[in-house]
Amino acid sequence: MLPTDVHIAKKPTVYDAIVVGSGISGGWAAKELCEKGLKTLVLERGRPLQHRVDYITEHKAPWELPHRGRVSPARLEKDYFIQRRTGFIGEENIHFFFHDSKSPYVEDKPFTWVRGEQVGGKSLMWGRYTFRHSDLDYTANAREGIAVDWPIRYKDIAPWYSHVEKFAGISGEKLGLAHLPDGEFQKPIPLNVVEQDLRKRIEKNYPERHLTIARAAVLTEPIGDRAPCHFCGPCWRGCSTGSYFSSLASTLPAAVATGNLTLRPNSVVHSVIYDAKKGRATGVRVVDAETKQMLEFHSRVVFLCGSTLGSTHVLLNSKSERYPDGLGSSSGELGHNLMDHHFQVGAFGEVEGFEDHYWYGNRPIGFYIPRYRNISEATKMKEFTRGYGIEGEASRESWGRGREIPGFGADLKAKLHDPGPWSVWLTGFGETLPRHENYVTLDSTKVDSFGIPQLRFNAAWGPNELAMRKDMASSMAEMLERCGLKNVKPYDENKPGGLGAEPGLGIHESGTARMGRDRKTSVLNAHNQVWDAPNVFVTDGACMTSTPCQNPSITYMALTARAADHAAREMKRGNL
Amino acid sequence: MNRRDAVKAIGLLLGTAVTPSVARAIRTGYVAPAAGQPLRALTVAEGELLATLTELIIPTTSTPGARAARVDAFIDGMLADIFTQEDRDRFTAGLADVDARARAAHGVAFVQATPAQQVAILTALDQESRKAAEGSHPFFPRLKELTLVGYYTSEIGATQELKYVHVAGRYDGDVPYAQVGRAYS
Repeated sequence: MLPTDVHIAKKPTVYDAIVVGSGISGGWAAKELCEKGLKTLVLERGRPLQHRVDYITEHKAPWELPHRGRVSPARLEKDYFIQRRTGFIGEENIHFFFHDSKSPYVEDKPFTWVRGEQVGGKSLMWGRYTFRHSDLDYTANAREGIAVDWPIRYKDIAPWYSHVEKFAGISGEKLGLAHLPDGEFQKPIPLNVVEQDLRKRIEKNYPERHLTIARAAVLTEPIGDRAPCHFCGPCWRGCSTGSYFSSLASTLPAAVATGNLTLRPNSVVHSVIYDAKKGRATGVRVVDAETKQMLEFHSRVVFLCGSTLGSTHVLLNSKSERYPDGLGSSSGELGHNLMDHHFQVGAFGEVEGFEDHYWYGNRPIGFYIPRYRNISEATKMKEFTRGYGIEGEASRESWGRGREIPGFGADLKAKLHDPGPWSVWLTGFGETLPRHENYVTLDSTKVDSFGIPQLRFNAAWGPNELAMRKDMASSMAEMLERCGLKNVKPYDENKPGGLGAEPGLGIHESGTARMGRDRKTSVLNAHNQVWDAPNVFVTDGACMTSTPCQNPSITYMALTARAADHAAREMKRGNL
Repeated sequence: MNRRDAVKAIGLLLGTAVTPSVARAIRTGYVAPAAGQPLRALTVAEGELLATLTELIIPTTSTPGARAARVDAFIDGMLADIFTQEDRDRFTAGLADVDARARAAHGVAFVQATPAQQVAILTALDQESRKAAEGSHPFFPRLKELTLVGYYTSEIGATQELKYVHVAGRYDGDVPYAQVGRAYS
């Protein structure tokens, strides 16, 4: 259990480390730093949340929710006008979503910024898919002369992937693919009967393509007091058995156990305090979310883990005489190279046969088809660089298809008594290129309810993304057709300049404080240290130099653990 | 991430097969009235007509139908809280039209017509709606859709008519359908 009555000493205390954010990255920073003996203060802008106790809708049937899952439109319009764009905010999970009204932002171009607002952050809301990056990814910028080179290679991060995977608990299947490295996996959750058949058909038709159950931070074997998944289904309500990885179930309890953790919710970090004489940070300024008072906390190192744009927001607002455009701005790249994965594009089709087959249990994940474009000379595409991975599922529709069935009465009821035919649905998650012209900045006049200048968004898909989307839709449709599916239809929800597949909606936003080899062209070094203030580390998605198509959270975990290790060593050596 | 599941489960209980205004309603929220509460958008007579119509769409068979599941109250709540005034007026006009057809053909209110007469009127509405011009908002598809949502998300519809699995405890990707025998709700 996490402490709810967080005690902050009245007399000024200097912590060894301050961690901003308690989500996936912040939780890992807290665990690793605390376990290395460092007195660590975690600042979380959201409310306190207790594992198990506060999963208030978990295991409730639809009719047990007071409003059957619905939230009044007035409430969404007032407080969740951005979050509602996800299409999956309802009575089941609205309590985990950010109040847009507290900290709105300016969209020069559409950007859907999805945020959590509680201890645990988005680790309560995430999709739990976990795939390693490879050297195909870490060398891509250098090979293609795009943006800047990553300052690390796979060998630098591989041991850290193993480190975090063992603790987080990743179920999945080893495939032996160079471009999607295997990891430390628990036994995989099974594919269903139709997916197993589709896998065989894909292998037969396309030697370079594979279909596997998604690798995911969902346990199939116990870890400590965390139990294997019980297949109830709606992970987004919270998981009191800790069967999926969240900060609340995993990293924060480990940090608490050391006795070195202090956790302060309702703490909106305003900026990093920079000491020009020392050339380093001395702590952070915080606006108390309840009292709106400005407070200061001091430490030897600061880890910014407040989510990609949360961390960059803090850096941009950390203005000093030395760095008037924010801490980390000396390269001119702070706030730039904003990326996401573009998705909402794919294909679906019907499967003939298998009417006598069904499943049992609500599986928390679907299948995955690893990237198959631009992974070798033979798979090189003229129209675009990089690639996409595919998420999908085979299932049978239930009563939802009733509207399409003509008629009414006992006949209709009888037809809906049985499930519909099997169908397969695919969606791609595509890599986007880091481009300087996609950026966030501080608005010069507008502030949020904490008096912090609002972010202003200027980002859009470029030619490479748009060309890739065409291939995503047509290639997925072609694959389903060749595998024998019927009524195959491609789809693409992108509406240029509008909503549908806009940047941010992928909720894999990254970049804006990239790592690099040269302080003139990057914000962070190879250990996630801000070049301008080496005792400030940024280890969430902001650090990304490119955004490979794999779901990114496991990489943030690994980079955070690696940076925490480096920080502790450097502190011991007296360098920090 | 299995985001499609989340969207389907939370945002769109009816998958993608919904009309825009019902999709909007489901996406943006609906407050269901507690059982026994008076109707808020409809008169008592309209409510009884609606309950009769929903029961014709999902009747009591070997399991209870829409009336027992209080689908009328569900739709009343949608009308009161979610629908725009224009959509609400359209819906009540649709109810009035059903009654007018019964009076014209049989000289009685719809609820007083014989079951066979009721089915004939509803069948005609169903068939006409399939020929309806784009954007003409026929009444029957709207009524049918709301009835399906209300019924299959109710305890009766989800657990008695269909199969509701609360906490499975395990996953099996290949079960003989005969062992389950009903669609999962």
